[in-house]
Amino acid sequence: MMKAYFTDMEAGIVKAISEGNSSHRKLYTLELARLGKRLYSGADSIAWCGITAPFDLLNAMGVTSCFVEFIGAMLALTGSVGPFIEETDHIGYSADACSYHRSVSGAAIRGMMPAPNFLIGTTNPCSGGLAVLENLARRFERELFVLHIPQDDSAGNVRFLADQMREMAAFVSRITGRALDDTALRKSVENSNRACGVIKEIFELAGRVPSPVASRDLSNFGIVMPLFFGSGQAIAIAEAYRDEFTKRIDAGADGKPGRKFRLLWIQNRIQFRHGLEKMLEEEYGASIISDELNDITWDPIDPENPFEGFARRAISIPFNGTIERRIGHLKKLAWQYRIDGAINPCNWGCRQGTGARGLMENGLREIGVPVLNLEVDCVDSRKFAEGQMRTRLEAFMEMLDGREPLRG
Amino acid sequence: MNREKDIIGFACAYTPLPLIHAAGFAPYRILPNVDCPDQAGRLMHDNLCPHVKRVLDRAMSGTIPELKGMVFMNSCDSMRRLYDAWKAVKPDMNSVLVDLPPVATHASIGFFRDELERLSRTIEQWGGKAIDDASLARSIGLYNRVSSLFTALRGKAGRSELMGGSTALQEAYNRASTSPPEEGIASLEAILDEGADIKEGEPGVPVYLFGNVLPEPEAFALFESCGAHIVSDDLCTGSRLFAAMETGGGDILLALARGILGRPSCARTFSAERPGGLGDDVAEGAINAGARGVIGYTAKFCDPYIARMPGVWDALKKEGIPFLLLEGDCTLRSIGQQRTRIEAFIEMLR
Repeated sequence: MMKAYFTDMEAGIVKAISEGNSSHRKLYTLELARLGKRLYSGADSIAWCGITAPFDLLNAMGVTSCFVEFIGAMLALTGSVGPFIEETDHIGYSADACSYHRSVSGAAIRGMMPAPNFLIGTTNPCSGGLAVLENLARRFERELFVLHIPQDDSAGNVRFLADQMREMAAFVSRITGRALDDTALRKSVENSNRACGVIKEIFELAGRVPSPVASRDLSNFGIVMPLFFGSGQAIAIAEAYRDEFTKRIDAGADGKPGRKFRLLWIQNRIQFRHGLEKMLEEEYGASIISDELNDITWDPIDPENPFEGFARRAISIPFNGTIERRIGHLKKLAWQYRIDGAINPCNWGCRQGTGARGLMENGLREIGVPVLNLEVDCVDSRKFAEGQMRTRLEAFMEMLDGREPLRG
Repeated sequence: MNREKDIIGFACAYTPLPLIHAAGFAPYRILPNVDCPDQAGRLMHDNLCPHVKRVLDRAMSGTIPELKGMVFMNSCDSMRRLYDAWKAVKPDMNSVLVDLPPVATHASIGFFRDELERLSRTIEQWGGKAIDDASLARSIGLYNRVSSLFTALRGKAGRSELMGGSTALQEAYNRASTSPPEEGIASLEAILDEGADIKEGEPGVPVYLFGNVLPEPEAFALFESCGAHIVSDDLCTGSRLFAAMETGGGDILLALARGILGRPSCARTFSAERPGGLGDDVAEGAINAGARGVIGYTAKFCDPYIARMPGVWDALKKEGIPFLLLEGDCTLRSIGQQRTRIEAFIEMLR
């Protein structure tokens, strides 16, 4: 099913592009389809990973790697997630768990997840994600390597994580039989740095007033792009986005007359199809122009000494560490993008995110940015009550209408 | 408890109690089973661990003793969020978050050793004594003595000779986790000196209890009143907190790190070489204890246990060991509602 889905998706997009119907979003989706196809091809070396694994390192070692939550999001997008989540109910998985992880576990039980060659667990962002990788290692009877991401970037912590990543590279070499090629690694790091440089430009353009960004443009962008790091495709996708936004700005407007509210989305988007973003844009002129993970929080990585850079990058992800740091990052985004209001979906089952929702709300309120906390399961569409969400969003937008915008 | 010493609070079984004690402080566990208003929801979502929320409730309602500081372990997402929320509600109180590796590799033990060194420097700044190897070894020795006394006490409870049964055992755990080890030792020795309480009539059905936070002694009374005899436990408010460790020669902080990461583990700690090992460990614990069934008790919304529970079901099924899983909020008010299920489970085991 998944292999056919990704193959059809790739064919459809290739056809559209060949007919002159290309776009930044199509290029991005095409690479997603190709990644999915490779994962299910049965031909590549596969690694299931945590979100903060060094994908450019794995790409340099010839491994097709992906964080497991990607599969949950894809199942949600295709509207087929329900039976997979139910599968986990039958084996004793609590309904209180994160639906990203339940759906992935259900997919593995149903044989819908390709057996990996190995797994890389990461302690950031969450306890649940690491537990799922442990379970998958047991189910697939494959070796698991765990990266402990420390809470801050003090010198000892960076060294500790960099050493773990070196050890991880040796682990991958042992399993795949392929040694780490210094030239390939250097090229991969250079590609990552170039892609990140262009992505920074994208985010700078997104912050313009008016913003060239529509709500769906950068959905999942910051969390998915690292999967392509190290490859030329990451640069190509980023350049397509940059060029599209530049074109929109050069056209003299954001292309959507009447747009006025600039929104920040906290944590992850709702992954299944729904009408809320369209409603916000069409009825309130509101666009989600920034997502919490749409940021480059690390410096360019030294191609001659990449492991310390990989470590600093993993530590810098805003979900890591204490909430003070995360709130500081949200405030930075709010100022940078001149945000009118923030929306936190409070994904049901996400302890690392919802556990601090009150503190995040208070933190943004300190700088005059109101936060709407929703109650959404971002993956399980069966629990989605769109009418209730619409009512709450409508009230929030009406409240924003009477407020002064944030001034930099 | 002894008020001559300043108190440092903690909330996780991985807390290095000997280190706190060696600095001249009395470690005090903020247990969740104290009546106080529910207020944590102001900062935390409803779907967060009730243990963490009850600990925060206690801080917000002032039902904790005067603390010199609070030591948090980065054992899971909820504990990390507790640290964040605690700082918001107690901004003037000393607090520290100690990072805790999920696996006990050579490198991660070394990392944790450095975290313990950072903790020792931190609590020295809170007014503690400088910790040297001799004082730390002495404190580890005291906690090892507490551990060995609990081993003896569990043996007595297992033979149904402990006055008050597993309820009394849990009360002893709670006392020991809120007292300096010297007081814990005196109290445990006194209990062990009491005569055997030989009960007449039909003995309870031997049951192995595992999970996370269940400090409510009356919960154990409930199990016993339903016909269960808890022959062994693996709870973070029970046997897991007081596990003996070797100091040996050499770097004592490294020994402490190795001892803490090597003790019977909460679900959040695992071996990458033996993924899914929790289920095997529970099954082995039940078999070794001669239990006829297993009761699991976990606080709701506990991701480390939620994710591993299917593996526990599977392992116990393979061994033919019946299993009852209870979820609750660490207090009797939720577990009391489970009476019928516990009674039916015990009846099935007879």
